[in-house]
Amino acid sequence: MALRMSPVTLQREIYPSYTFHQSKNLRSPKFAMASTIGSSTPKVESTKKPFTPPREVHLQVTHSMPPQKIEIFKSIEGWAEDNILVHLKPVEKCWQPQDFLPEPASDGFEEQVKELRARAKEIPDEYFIVLVGDMITEEALPTYQTMLNTLDGVRDETGASPTPWAIWTRAWTAEENRHGDLLHQYLYLSGRVDMRQIQKTIQYLIGSGMDPRTENSPYLGFIYTSFQERATFISHGNTARHAKDYGDLKLAQICGTIAADEKRHETAYTKIAEKLFEIDPDGTVLAFADMMRKKISMPAHLMYDGRDDDLFDHFSAVAQRLGVYTAKDYADILEFLVGRWKVADLTGLSGEGRKAQDYVCGLPSRIRRLEERAATRAKEGPSIPFSWIFDREVKL
Amino acid sequence: MAAVPVTCVRLTTSMQIVGKTSALKLVSMGRNKSGFPCLRTSRFQISCVAKPETVNKVCEIVKTQLALGADTVVAPDSKFASLGADSLDTVEIVMTLEEEFGISVEEENSQNITTVQEAADLIEKLVEKKNATA
Repeated sequence: MALRMSPVTLQREIYPSYTFHQSKNLRSPKFAMASTIGSSTPKVESTKKPFTPPREVHLQVTHSMPPQKIEIFKSIEGWAEDNILVHLKPVEKCWQPQDFLPEPASDGFEEQVKELRARAKEIPDEYFIVLVGDMITEEALPTYQTMLNTLDGVRDETGASPTPWAIWTRAWTAEENRHGDLLHQYLYLSGRVDMRQIQKTIQYLIGSGMDPRTENSPYLGFIYTSFQERATFISHGNTARHAKDYGDLKLAQICGTIAADEKRHETAYTKIAEKLFEIDPDGTVLAFADMMRKKISMPAHLMYDGRDDDLFDHFSAVAQRLGVYTAKDYADILEFLVGRWKVADLTGLSGEGRKAQDYVCGLPSRIRRLEERAATRAKEGPSIPFSWIFDREVKL
Repeated sequence: MAAVPVTCVRLTTSMQIVGKTSALKLVSMGRNKSGFPCLRTSRFQISCVAKPETVNKVCEIVKTQLALGADTVVAPDSKFASLGADSLDTVEIVMTLEEEFGISVEEENSQNITTVQEAADLIEKLVEKKNATA
């Protein structure tokens, strides 16, 4: 098994990708691609087709949850209505992107835009790389709603299903939709970035989708989303802090408001997983260990801008260097969830369940040790151009 | 691959190897990255095959890392993956080897470590280099 341990290579799956042999191969179809149905023979192509976005390399597994467990989710619909939907904010009480942007219907619009652009000028390119990457991730929302609707037992069967699960998914999507809109409009007005390249990246990314390896199992799915929401909360929280340091209080407010949403969502998803730990501790701890072994993959890891084959690696290297989202954060999130779900205190587990429990409880310190080692060996990264900022260079 | 007729000695339990270099022909016929067999005879040493003590030490470390039972056989050509190592285990094995042998494994090299033998060979190479520059 091949290894790469530099901090850059720790990025691909929020962050510890202990094996990274796949990074260069994602675009060379030298082995069976997940999208090749039925075929297991490696394809060999001598030349890479231009403008080929990366594809998922793992075998895509479906419906791994035993069908009888679907009953569980039906049976707790009442509980979900009372305990999960409460974490949604009524639309009338919600912020809208316009609340944080220059008001086009007002006479002061042009002045407000001027002020926005003046503040943005004081913010370095490297920060914009991270903000753009985050924005692109948010704009790929169709992929995430899709992912939630792949989950057995909780999917929205019609697009307007009245079950609490479906209501949650649609309302969650609606809340998230504001994030991409807000960041998109801010970036557009800022004048600091190449909107066309960014928009192209979004189109590629939504086209690529992603397989978080949740295998249609809501156990795996809700553990994944719990992790993700906390990760985005941390990430946007950090971009908010940085914006404040650069003197752009409005941008800090934008990022902070998005972070607050993510925190609320994290609360909801961790509650669902907590309920599952209560109902089926063995199944849930096995699911937790499974997701951690597979590693939590970042939603935008297949991002592509038509030019950089390693775009995600480059983006996340910058995010790591700036401290916006790091390998240490990955370990911290894991440790938090282990505590939140009281995994160490679980009893009545099967043999496999106990192994899973040990694995998950021991994992945070192993990751930290790995990350410390990688940090001590970190060489200074190269400066590479990013098409998102007109090919200006940023240090990795 | 070089078509050299060689005597193949399959080492099944490395824990029992007694290193008598004068009498021992160690030939790696397994798939190693270099693709050709290595010979070590008493007359000269081509240091592409590691000392048995090194191989033993690596086996020990692998067994500890993967919590393998005393009866589990770890052979030099055992692939870490088939012993149950995931990617994190493999990295930790390399880290332990670094600490144990006082060496530093560069990333490019670490990608080539998939078996006990490969680890031992790399260790010897690095230790030799370290001693040469000391």
